[in-house]
Amino acid sequence: MIKLLHVEDDADIREIAKMSLELTGDFEVVQCNSGQEALDTVPSFTPDVILLDMMMPGMTGKETLEHLRKIDALKETPAIFMTARAQNADVEEFRAVGAVEVICKPFDPMSLAEQIKTAMNA
Amino acid sequence: MATGWYATADTLLPPSLLDIGPIMGAIAISGLVPVLFVKKNLNGGKSRTSEIAMAERFANLKSSTLINVVDAENRMTEVNDEMLAFTGYTRDQLIGQPVRMLYGPTGYQTADTIRRGLAEGKIWQGDTPLVCSDGSVRVTQTTVMPLFDGEGNWSGSISVRNDLAKNEAFLSGKINSTALHELRDSIWMVDVQTEHFHYMNRAALDWMGLGGGSYDRLSLDDIQTKMDISPLISAYHAVRDKGREDVQCNLVLKGMQFEVSVKRVAIDDQNDQILFVFQDISNRVEKEQMKAEFVSTVSHELRSPLTSIKGSMGLLLSNAAGELPEKARGLLEIAHRNAERLVLIINDILDLEKIVAGGMEFERVPTDLSDLINEAVLSSSINSQRFDVTIETVGTEEPVEVHTDPNRTIQVLTNLLSNACKFSRPNGKIIVSLTQQQGRLRVSVKDHGQGIPARDKHKIFERFADMTNSDRASKGGTGLGLSICKAIVENMGGDIGFESQEGVGTTFYFCLPTEEAVVYHTENAQPGLRDAG
Repeated sequence: MIKLLHVEDDADIREIAKMSLELTGDFEVVQCNSGQEALDTVPSFTPDVILLDMMMPGMTGKETLEHLRKIDALKETPAIFMTARAQNADVEEFRAVGAVEVICKPFDPMSLAEQIKTAMNA
Repeated sequence: MATGWYATADTLLPPSLLDIGPIMGAIAISGLVPVLFVKKNLNGGKSRTSEIAMAERFANLKSSTLINVVDAENRMTEVNDEMLAFTGYTRDQLIGQPVRMLYGPTGYQTADTIRRGLAEGKIWQGDTPLVCSDGSVRVTQTTVMPLFDGEGNWSGSISVRNDLAKNEAFLSGKINSTALHELRDSIWMVDVQTEHFHYMNRAALDWMGLGGGSYDRLSLDDIQTKMDISPLISAYHAVRDKGREDVQCNLVLKGMQFEVSVKRVAIDDQNDQILFVFQDISNRVEKEQMKAEFVSTVSHELRSPLTSIKGSMGLLLSNAAGELPEKARGLLEIAHRNAERLVLIINDILDLEKIVAGGMEFERVPTDLSDLINEAVLSSSINSQRFDVTIETVGTEEPVEVHTDPNRTIQVLTNLLSNACKFSRPNGKIIVSLTQQQGRLRVSVKDHGQGIPARDKHKIFERFADMTNSDRASKGGTGLGLSICKAIVENMGGDIGFESQEGVGTTFYFCLPTEEAVVYHTENAQPGLRDAG
């Protein structure tokens, strides 16, 4: 079972992502609605992969990852960004801060799990 | 017939000029029209010789002024050299002749009218046609004043004329230069030989802080030491050294954004100038940025709800919430398909806005164009199957290396292929060809569909112009594909076009310039241009 931390401020998108990932039976999904909530969650849940929305009020996805990286157990954890702003230059920037993959919104719920597994193994 | 007006000398004479002379009170040359004020015999009589001497002095005031003096019989007693040069007569041919010979038969009436007025002490002013020695007629702007002897008797007249054609040219030039000086766009003119400024208009003087107008000792080098005008210098050299006619460049100076047009202007043999016209586009750029940001924000904001809509429908269609009734599934498929289409439209709008705003970066990397074509054909297989067409390639057997942006080139190719699939007849054939023509690489996509109606050809690259809305919905297009192709190809320095015949088919093509392309056979790996043969 892959332990996945999903940080996303849009409740509908959280719902769709959770349903599509859990359909496969391969993921244990813990969701947070902000970067701060993610920081509060990680002491009790150490994920195998982090799925982060890029644009969130308060802490952005990038800032959230920077904070998460300060925790020893999460220094090498694969991080995947989800964004509605995925131009080439943005993708390069996300990769530069440690993203292994950038998934564009709207994403395909039926291939989301596969995309994440592929990125983790890359 | 010439027209003119009379005024009595006394009413025209400014008091400060009363003492200039006994016969003529004053002469004022306005720069265009000589206006003579004549005062009758104020200080007693003077000899006729002195009158002529005065006329000669005035003649020297403005060398282009034509002067003739006539006696009481209206016979010419004096003409200046300019009058001779203008009419083509010699002095001997004119002196002693009635002045009306210059007016020609049609001007006799004018001459008589002027004469009658002069006898009453009036000045006449108006246009008079003069018949020259070669028979040609040239119009002059004329002022005729009466002359009086020591007893106050009318003794003849003096006519002062200007070449009307020259005046009009001068006036027109003056209007132009005034307009140029007051133009909101900044103007520089730089001498090609000395590279010193020949002219700057008021707008340029203002933003450069040269309010006093002292630009004549400035050179381009002086400006370069004070501000970064390197794009301007490159454009200047392209025009001066490489013979380019008109080069555009963008420049940011003192916080203002300019679009500059650089052009060579040969005023005459001695004056070879480079003209710089600076258009301040700061406001325009700011508005465009705001518009682009707005479009971008709206488009991105649309993506979040679309993610939920499309995601929910996707999950329902995959039976994540249980088996769907057949009718419900059909309706959901329609909604899902249209949500997909909405995503494509948003992506296309974003792409187009980004290209138009100059925000899309284009790579220039060595790329195998044959490979790109084959890749685009492969990725179009879903479309070709859907519309039941086959795609063939010609000229892509060998690698053809080109410096281009591979992703954007693929985008253009798949767009053109997608269109060709949509507009082909079932079982139709699409041919993609790669050739080199006149030193340019040309990629064409030919279909055998219905062709483009003549009435639609002019707007084919406009947004949402390729078909009706219902066509777009049924064929899955966004109506922006060709606009994007055009913008991409033009940004890569190429051009795009099409040939179409109704009922026969359409060929869309794009060409890439060889300046940007190095084509070679990989067998010998030697760079060199290859002709299509």
